[in-house]
Amino acid sequence: MRALKTSANLVVTLLLGVSSVAQAQTAEVLHWWTSGGESAALDKVRAAYAAKGGTWKDTPVAGGSNARAAVVNRMIGGKPPTAFMFSIGKQLDELAEQGLVGDVNDAATAGKWDAVLPPLIAKASKYDGKYIAAPVNIHGENWMFYNAAALKKAKVEVPKTWPELITAAKTLKAAGITPIALGGEPWQERILFNSVLLGVGGRDHYSKVYGQLDEAAMKSDTMLEVFKTVAALREFVDEGSPGRKWNIAANMVMKGSAAFYFMGDWAKGELVAAGIEPGTTVGCALAPAKDKGYIMTVDAFAFAKVKDKASLDAQKLMANVIMDPAVQIAFNKRKGSIPVRTDVTDPSFDVCAKLAQETLKDPKTQLASSGLFGLPSAVSGAIDDAISNYWNNRSMTPEQGRALFIKTIAGAK
Amino acid sequence: MMNAQQPPSAVTLPRAEAPPAGRRRWWSASTAAKIALVPAAVITAVCFYAFVGWTVVISMTRSRLLPVYNFVGLDQYRRLFANERWWTAMENLAIHGTLFIVGCTLLGYVLALLLDRATRGESFFRTVFMLPLSMSFIVTGTIWQWLLNPTLGIQDAVRDLGWTEFVFNWIVRPDRAIYTLAIAGVWQQVGLCMALFLAGLRGIDPNIWKATRVDGIPTWRVYTDIITPMLRPVFFSVFVLLSAMVLKSFDLVVALTGGGPGFSSDLPARFVVDHILNRQELGLGAAGAFMMLCTIAAVISPYLYVELRSPRKEA
Repeated sequence: MRALKTSANLVVTLLLGVSSVAQAQTAEVLHWWTSGGESAALDKVRAAYAAKGGTWKDTPVAGGSNARAAVVNRMIGGKPPTAFMFSIGKQLDELAEQGLVGDVNDAATAGKWDAVLPPLIAKASKYDGKYIAAPVNIHGENWMFYNAAALKKAKVEVPKTWPELITAAKTLKAAGITPIALGGEPWQERILFNSVLLGVGGRDHYSKVYGQLDEAAMKSDTMLEVFKTVAALREFVDEGSPGRKWNIAANMVMKGSAAFYFMGDWAKGELVAAGIEPGTTVGCALAPAKDKGYIMTVDAFAFAKVKDKASLDAQKLMANVIMDPAVQIAFNKRKGSIPVRTDVTDPSFDVCAKLAQETLKDPKTQLASSGLFGLPSAVSGAIDDAISNYWNNRSMTPEQGRALFIKTIAGAK
Repeated sequence: MMNAQQPPSAVTLPRAEAPPAGRRRWWSASTAAKIALVPAAVITAVCFYAFVGWTVVISMTRSRLLPVYNFVGLDQYRRLFANERWWTAMENLAIHGTLFIVGCTLLGYVLALLLDRATRGESFFRTVFMLPLSMSFIVTGTIWQWLLNPTLGIQDAVRDLGWTEFVFNWIVRPDRAIYTLAIAGVWQQVGLCMALFLAGLRGIDPNIWKATRVDGIPTWRVYTDIITPMLRPVFFSVFVLLSAMVLKSFDLVVALTGGGPGFSSDLPARFVVDHILNRQELGLGAAGAFMMLCTIAAVISPYLYVELRSPRKEA
């Protein structure tokens, strides 16, 4: 069945490729993947695009927010890039509302995207029922990396629940190992918080809070429990945490000076760069949780509104290349994420990626990150503020933290 | 006021009756100067006042990612004033601004006085004090971030020397982080103030010194009662320079603390940039920017008024 789909895809793309020979399909692609690993991953897409007859004009802009600002400025200026990296969700919807974004619905229908994409991602990629973005990958945010040697030294098991983690952390601290490596920037603190939110509250609670901004859920006792657990974690983070960059925190777990690290799976890139196979000296598991859930963030390419046929064809070709199973495998192996297509697996993926794919088979586990995917960035930014303020003020009680959380979200809506 | 080209008999004539006045006036020096100022005036009008106006307009809309003109009145200001982070940022601006300006001015003046008295090694010390100035705020911020980090910097070094109980962890304490900004800022800018004061001191007429020596006034009295009041214009320049630096302090806070822990060391400039560029809150950011302008105007204009008027009165 999969072979059939793949070959059907191949035929479609080949046909497109053949028709494109007549006119060079030049796509200017604006993106922010400038680091070594990211660039190597994107190379795979670039090569595939060229192999199908397109010309890729690369416009890298370092930094996600800079790149997004560049896209918006160029759109307003009337010279948008053909395709651009963007986060799917409310932010892209706003561009679409202003009529600045084109759709690739033809390619999506032909490629049966609806059938192969996780429903939540398919929904977020559409505006007004049409696909306006081609998702490339799924990153998971609720990962727990751990140094196996450190756990062994302190004789603790990999915890399955947050109370177990707190017990383990006490033992580790007594053994002179920093229990939790944490980079003290708001977005990193949010990742830890969200893992606790999912772990203590469960996925229904999580989706009520972030999916619907449900005030009853935020006011519940469960939420108070979440804030209590987060408060209990404060003492397991070392003093140097505030302002620390995430890759330095990752390094602490690699060296074994810290035991646990809660971070998205892009941290695997750091492991691989340091010559560590994920799942060996540094193990990976989903963060302790009541029920299985996977907090997804999605990288996607969106398409500017263009009129000329050459650009439209270039966009279509681009959409097909991005969703090509072979491209998805090659790309994601380098990016540390997993393919956005649920029908694509590869035996050479690392154990963490396999665990992610296994988890996502159950649609109930698919949760949206509170970052750019899902919530308006004003709200997600305000949430980061509230979490970070709570985390860093040890004098703030869980009740006050919960109240601040509710108040901040209300102010940003 | 006398025009050299006019015949001597015309001098007594009232100006209005001066023959073929139009053409001559057109070419007069003041007209030429006015014409020369037009480009600057246009640039100021467009790039400053027009954009200020535009910011005010945007701050009254519900603009998020893109400017849209759906007016909501003062709603954004209401949201801004309800925002805890904004008030933290404003409070920090006051703390950082005061410490930075007072610190730089006092320390810079003291250093300049010492250098002024020193008989040797002046150029060496001048270079030492000026060196931090050659670095950008980003570099300064990064250096101080390392120095102040309790697990790598000063605290760790002192503990290694044997004082194991030594604590200097301001940068990770929400109630103290803002003071680290002032430390790094003063460290970098004190050299500039010193140079300005030194130039002022060197500009003092040596005869004044001779006269005070004749009168037998002690040196410290000369400095407090004669020299310091004479340096008033220099103090004014330093104040204006430093306040401009305080208001735009953005890079230092980004590099040093990133506004953290939490948002405890945030400053208004960072708040505005963050909301406009990262949070797609164009309207709220514009409201914040306009409030910054109002704050500056409120603080600086009385001072400007007094300073710019007094020399004219004396003349």
